[in-house]
Amino acid sequence: MSITKPTPSRAGPNAVEVMYGSPVYSQVMQFLNKEARLLDHRELRAWSSMLATDLVYTAPVRSTRRVEGFHEEFGSIGHFDDDYNSIMSRIDRLVGTASAWSEDPPSRTRRFVTNVTVHETETPDEYAISSYLLLTRNRADAKDYKQLSAERLDRLRWTGGRFLLFRREILVDQVVLGMPNLAVFL
Amino acid sequence: MLVEGRDKFQKDPVANLIDLENREVSVAALHDRDLYELEMEKIFAKGWLMLGHDSEIPNVGDYVVRLMGEDQVIVARHSDNTVHVSLNVCPHRAMHICISDSGNARAHKCIYHGWAFRPDGSFIGAPIEKEQMHGTIKPKSELGLKKARCQVYGGLIFATWGGEEAMTLEEWMGDMKFYYDMLFKRTDRGLEVLGPPQRLTIDANWKTAGEQSACDGFHTLTLHQSLLDRGAMVGEAGTEHEKAPAMYGVNLSANGHSLRCIPADTSWSLMAKNPQKDLTDEQRLELMPPPGITKELLPQVKKNLTPEQLHVFAKAPPVVGGMFPNVNMLFIFSPFPDGTLGSALVLHTINPKGPDHFEWVTFFFGEKDASPEYKDMMRQAAAQGTGTSGVIEQDDSDTWPHMSESSRGVIGRTETLKYQAILGENRPADWPNKAKVYAGFSKDDCQWEWWVQYHKMMTA
Ligand code: FES
Ligand SMILES: [Fe+2]
Repeated sequence: MSITKPTPSRAGPNAVEVMYGSPVYSQVMQFLNKEARLLDHRELRAWSSMLATDLVYTAPVRSTRRVEGFHEEFGSIGHFDDDYNSIMSRIDRLVGTASAWSEDPPSRTRRFVTNVTVHETETPDEYAISSYLLLTRNRADAKDYKQLSAERLDRLRWTGGRFLLFRREILVDQVVLGMPNLAVFL
Repeated sequence: MLVEGRDKFQKDPVANLIDLENREVSVAALHDRDLYELEMEKIFAKGWLMLGHDSEIPNVGDYVVRLMGEDQVIVARHSDNTVHVSLNVCPHRAMHICISDSGNARAHKCIYHGWAFRPDGSFIGAPIEKEQMHGTIKPKSELGLKKARCQVYGGLIFATWGGEEAMTLEEWMGDMKFYYDMLFKRTDRGLEVLGPPQRLTIDANWKTAGEQSACDGFHTLTLHQSLLDRGAMVGEAGTEHEKAPAMYGVNLSANGHSLRCIPADTSWSLMAKNPQKDLTDEQRLELMPPPGITKELLPQVKKNLTPEQLHVFAKAPPVVGGMFPNVNMLFIFSPFPDGTLGSALVLHTINPKGPDHFEWVTFFFGEKDASPEYKDMMRQAAAQGTGTSGVIEQDDSDTWPHMSESSRGVIGRTETLKYQAILGENRPADWPNKAKVYAGFSKDDCQWEWWVQYHKMMTA
C-alpha cells in the first residue's frame, strides 16, 4: 500500500518531445510492444519484470460532463488503484491459483498500441509517454468482442540498461465499461 | 412459452415461477421480458431505491443523474439545501433535461426548446415569456418535472415513485434500520463518497446479483477460493475449508433486506492472526475497531449508537449484505499484500437494463472525520478488492452472465434456483430482538427472504 502522491503522469507543457526514430523513441516502442505481446500471451510473470517496485498504476473513473467541465471528467476513484505489491498479488492470483474464475477460461486479448508520443522529463533517464490502446477481449464462445479504448500516460525509467514502468495512468474512453470486470491489465 | 402473456401476469404474476412451499424459483424468472416490465412497475416504481449520497452534491445547485429502474432522475440540491429527486424527462416533449452525469445549475434549461426548471423540479418558464409558449391550458405549477418522494438517511439518498401513501423509508427498512444505523449513522458527521462511482455493464438479469446480495455467504468458499487459497480471506490453503470459520456468524433479514455479521474474534484471528478471547465489548472495540472505524472515531461511535447496538457492533459487526431490491454492500476488513490490514466501505447498486443486462454501480465510502491518509488507504483497498478490477468481485461478475444464458434455453429455464439449505431462525441469548436472526453457518435463509419480498411486491 502506497499512500504517497504519485508522480503526475502527463508530460509538462514545456517538456521536450523525443524525436520519432531516435534511439530512445525506438526503445520506448520496443518496450510497449513487448508489454502488449507478453500480456496478450498471458506471460504475466515476464510482464511483471518490466515493472519498477515504486510503480503506481491507476485508471480513474470518468463521467460525462458538459464542455466547460470536460477537463474534470476524471474522478478520484479508480477502476484500478494499485501499486507494485498489489499488481504482483493480482498476478499471483491469476497464475498461481487454480480458481481465478474471472480469467479461467482466459480471455483472448489483443492490445493495439499506437500514437506513441515521448517527452523528456526533469529527471534524466525518465520519460513521459502517451500512447493509445485498443483492447479487444474475447472469451469462451462469444462471437463478438468486448472492447476498450484508452489513452495511457506512462513514465518509464532507464535503469541498468533497460526501461522499467513506474507510473501508468489509464484514461479509459467509456464512462460505463462494456466489459464486466477488468481482470486483465491495460 | 412458460409464461403466458401479460394479462395472466397481471392477475398472478409469479405463481408459475416461485414455489413457496419448496423454496424454488424458476430459472425462467431470469429471462422473461413481460415479467421484467412488471418488475419495473411493481418493484422499481414502487419501492425505495438508493440513488447516491448527499456528499456527492454538497453545494446548492449540485446535481447527479441516477437511475430508478430504467428511468433517469436528477438528484439535486435546492436553494434551501434540501435534496430533490425529479424525473429527467422534459414535460414539454420528453427531451432529457440534464445531459451530463453531474454538475451545478441553479436552473436546468432544456436544450430543445428552453423550458427551464429549478433544482426542486419546479417549472420556471419557457423562453419569450410574453408569448406563453407553455400554453394557457395548464398552470405553471402543473408543468414541473415529475417528482419522486425523497428521503435522506445517514447521508444516503433514497427515492420512491410510491408517493405519499407509500410506506416511509423507516417502515421500508423495518427492523434492519437498527443494524444499518451501525454502518451509516455511527459517527457525528457520517460517511462521504471518496469520488464518483465506477460503472460497468454486466450481461445478466438484475436478480442474479440481487439475490446474491442477500447474504450468499456460501459462494465464498468456492467462487472466491483463489482468495482463500492465498490466505487473503479465510480458511486454510489446500483444504476444502472444512473449518471455514468465517462461514459462522449471524445473518439478519427483514423485508427482504439483509446483513451478515461476522464475530469480531473470528475476523481478528483470521485477518490479524492474533486470536483474542473473552474480551469485553469495550476491549474488543479498542483492540479491533470495526471496518472503517479508527480508534479516534470510537468516542463518536459510543455516543451515536445505543448500548444494544454497540454490543452487536463490538461482538459481531455487520460486514456484508444488501437492501432490497438492488443494493449490495460490503463493510469489510481487507488485508494488503504487504500485510497491513485495510478496510473498505462499498455500496453497489444493480440497475436493470432489460432482462439480460444490468449496470453495476460501485460507490466507495470513508468516514468524513477519518484522516486523508486513512481515506486514501480505504480507496485503494476498495478498488483492489471490489468493483471493476476487485479481486473479490471480478469472479462474481463472471458468474451472473452464465445464469442468464442458462435461462435462454427452453429447457434451461425449466430448471430452478433452490433455497433449501435452511438454518432456521435462532437468536443468541444476548442478541437484540430485531429482524429475523439466523446464527450459525451461513445458509439460504436470507436469500429466500429476498424472494419472499419479491413475491410480495410482485403480487401486491
Ligand atoms: S422538449 Fe424540453 S423544452 Fe421542448
Ligand atoms: Fe462474491
